[in-house]
Amino acid sequence: MDTYILGLAMHPPSAWIVDKRLEEMVFDTAKAALDSAGIARKELDHITIAACDELDGRSISSMLLSAPAGAYLKDEIKTTDSGLIGLCLEAMRIESGRFHLGLLSSWNKSSKAPFEDVMRMRCEPFYTRDIGLNASIADGLFARAVKAAYGICESDVNAAVHASYEQASKNERGMRSAVPSLAEIKASAYVSVPLRKIQQAPVTDGGVSMVVCSGKWLSDHPDRRPLARLSGLAWRIDNYQLGEERLSKLHGFKETLSKAVAMSGVQDLSQLDLIELDSQTGFHEVAYRRAFNPPSTCQVSPSGGPFAQNPYFCTGLVHAAEAVLQVSGRAGAVQVKGAKRAAAHGCHGFAQQGNAIAIFEGV
Amino acid sequence: MPNNRVAVIGVGETVFKTRIDDKTYVELAQDAAKAALDDAGLTPDDIDAIVFSMAPTQFMGVNDVDKWAVDSVWASGKPFMRVHTGGATGGSALHAGFAHVASGMFRTVLVVGADRVTETRDAQHILNLIWDPFYEQDFALNTVTMTALSTQRYMHKYGTTEEQYARVVVRSRKNALNNPYAHLKGNVTVDDVMKSPRMSWPYKLFDICPRSAGAAALVLANQEVTKERCSRPAFINGIGGTTSTVFMGDRVGPFSDAELSDEAEFVSAGKEAYADAAITNPIKQIQVVELYDPFSSVQFPQLESLGFCKRGEAQNLSDEGAFDMGGLVSVNPSGGTLCSNPIGVTGLVRVADAALQVMGKAGQGQVAGVQNALATAIGGSVQFVNCTILGADYV
Repeated sequence: MDTYILGLAMHPPSAWIVDKRLEEMVFDTAKAALDSAGIARKELDHITIAACDELDGRSISSMLLSAPAGAYLKDEIKTTDSGLIGLCLEAMRIESGRFHLGLLSSWNKSSKAPFEDVMRMRCEPFYTRDIGLNASIADGLFARAVKAAYGICESDVNAAVHASYEQASKNERGMRSAVPSLAEIKASAYVSVPLRKIQQAPVTDGGVSMVVCSGKWLSDHPDRRPLARLSGLAWRIDNYQLGEERLSKLHGFKETLSKAVAMSGVQDLSQLDLIELDSQTGFHEVAYRRAFNPPSTCQVSPSGGPFAQNPYFCTGLVHAAEAVLQVSGRAGAVQVKGAKRAAAHGCHGFAQQGNAIAIFEGV
Repeated sequence: MPNNRVAVIGVGETVFKTRIDDKTYVELAQDAAKAALDDAGLTPDDIDAIVFSMAPTQFMGVNDVDKWAVDSVWASGKPFMRVHTGGATGGSALHAGFAHVASGMFRTVLVVGADRVTETRDAQHILNLIWDPFYEQDFALNTVTMTALSTQRYMHKYGTTEEQYARVVVRSRKNALNNPYAHLKGNVTVDDVMKSPRMSWPYKLFDICPRSAGAAALVLANQEVTKERCSRPAFINGIGGTTSTVFMGDRVGPFSDAELSDEAEFVSAGKEAYADAAITNPIKQIQVVELYDPFSSVQFPQLESLGFCKRGEAQNLSDEGAFDMGGLVSVNPSGGTLCSNPIGVTGLVRVADAALQVMGKAGQGQVAGVQNALATAIGGSVQFVNCTILGADYV
């Protein structure tokens, strides 16, 4: 691929950002990304937005948010799947040859909307809505399915959660939450058997913006040095129905990973230095690891993943930003030494119906 | 210029009407998807990726309703994304589909969507909630009153009369008689329009589009598949889009960048698309225009901003028949949005109807010798606009 990340910014996460309107959050993040790339807004030839009306609490949220995202009098498109799907759309716009310098923004002020009600309203009205299915219950169904499929013990899950929190505590861009002990995790209440409260990554507020450019733009601007090249990209959606196949086989995750790796031109996973996984629960973390069996040379979620910050709609794009920081040597305390190639994973849709993987290389 | 050529090789639409109670939302989407695949001579397995077109899901009452439709449009196991830019969604979804193929990452893409605007008892209440909760929602703003305000401003600037808008309605409903899918159609008179109930000055009921249910789909393909499967495709030769500020007050007065009543965002969007498609004289080079016109007053400023005539001239050209079938340029041979408005796919329907004209498949509504057709879409507070140029030949 001939698509490059020129600059990026992440809004500092919080459980509840109270001192800013969503518009201000989006503006601050977009502006910081442009500043980091040394780009003026007038230079951009397009904008891509990834946002969710329902989580933003508005009928057409981009009406008020497109201008803060830099789109005033620009060619702009919004996707509603996830921040990482926004990167997929942005990359295709660049790869089309029609656009060369864009700004991608995604956000989630999760504190603005009743999260579980929004998830419940994703259920169709005939069968699943009346059951009361929401994100936690869907995750509980997932946990039950992968527990059986991969022989996962609760102690494995608790250890994974503890390790994720411990890693997340080192990430200065994360929430730096207190690390729960194994005993605390084990003693926390069930939210949906077998899933316990502390085994879930808490949802946070947050946002990400990236300045993205084409190879042509770079050759026209030889003084500019990108942070990373996007070398592989894959995404797919799975069945709406929560059958055993969908819940336990992880087809979407496995296929997107292998397609993205193949696209990036590497032989196998041993050539990945790290992968940031969208593990919304400890069960996800253990299941994903067992599904793709990462080689010892590939570090898993050095940022702490969703346990570092989890602006739900754009967590995958946060992971992409973390991966870019890794391959550009800017990941700070969680830097993987010598990281040259990094993957970012994101889930989206009804009960994590969709998966996307992006792979970045240092330039 | 894009890296890879892209063409429309299949078009599918359902009938548009107030309610379609014998189908679920996902079945409607499937009907359009199947029709487009059949038209292209493809099966679901031939499709590499799917773009879903859907505007606010509050009309439907199912959040992320596109995900419910995944199995019905044969998307499971494939790359899939939903695009949403309010009323402009269908046009934006087409542009996203274009990017899929033009990028070289996919050979074929299905762009599909459905809407059921009447699932909600009061669409205009939903459309009040699109505005800023602190400053604007408490005014009686909805899409009717919003555009009525800009129409009043346009009338003040150019001396347009209510009768001139009524003639647009007469032409649209007459054209829709040739469209088997159109929601409203018939031989109405200027007098009928003028006597219809007053809604928000200068609008009467007949000046306003219906709330429609229905679906549409397009199959896009790269050059190789197009050559194999379609003898008369509609090439996507130009795309353009402009997003403006939500605040209408910022779009009036001497310091505004794009005048609200002129829908001036179409100047830059049109310029982009025309540059792609080598259109230098729209009135000479474009034979058919499918405008996004949910109100009778929306056509004139669009045609002027898109360079078909000078400011303030469209109303007189309309009176003279220049925009009738077979006129200088045939405007909305399908009947346009005034006759069918399933909001989440209306922009896609505009592209579909324009593509049918280029492909010579517009049936009774076919305009002779169409080389280029233009489709538009508008969303938000008339702040998201986009244009697509379809051509019989690749530029």
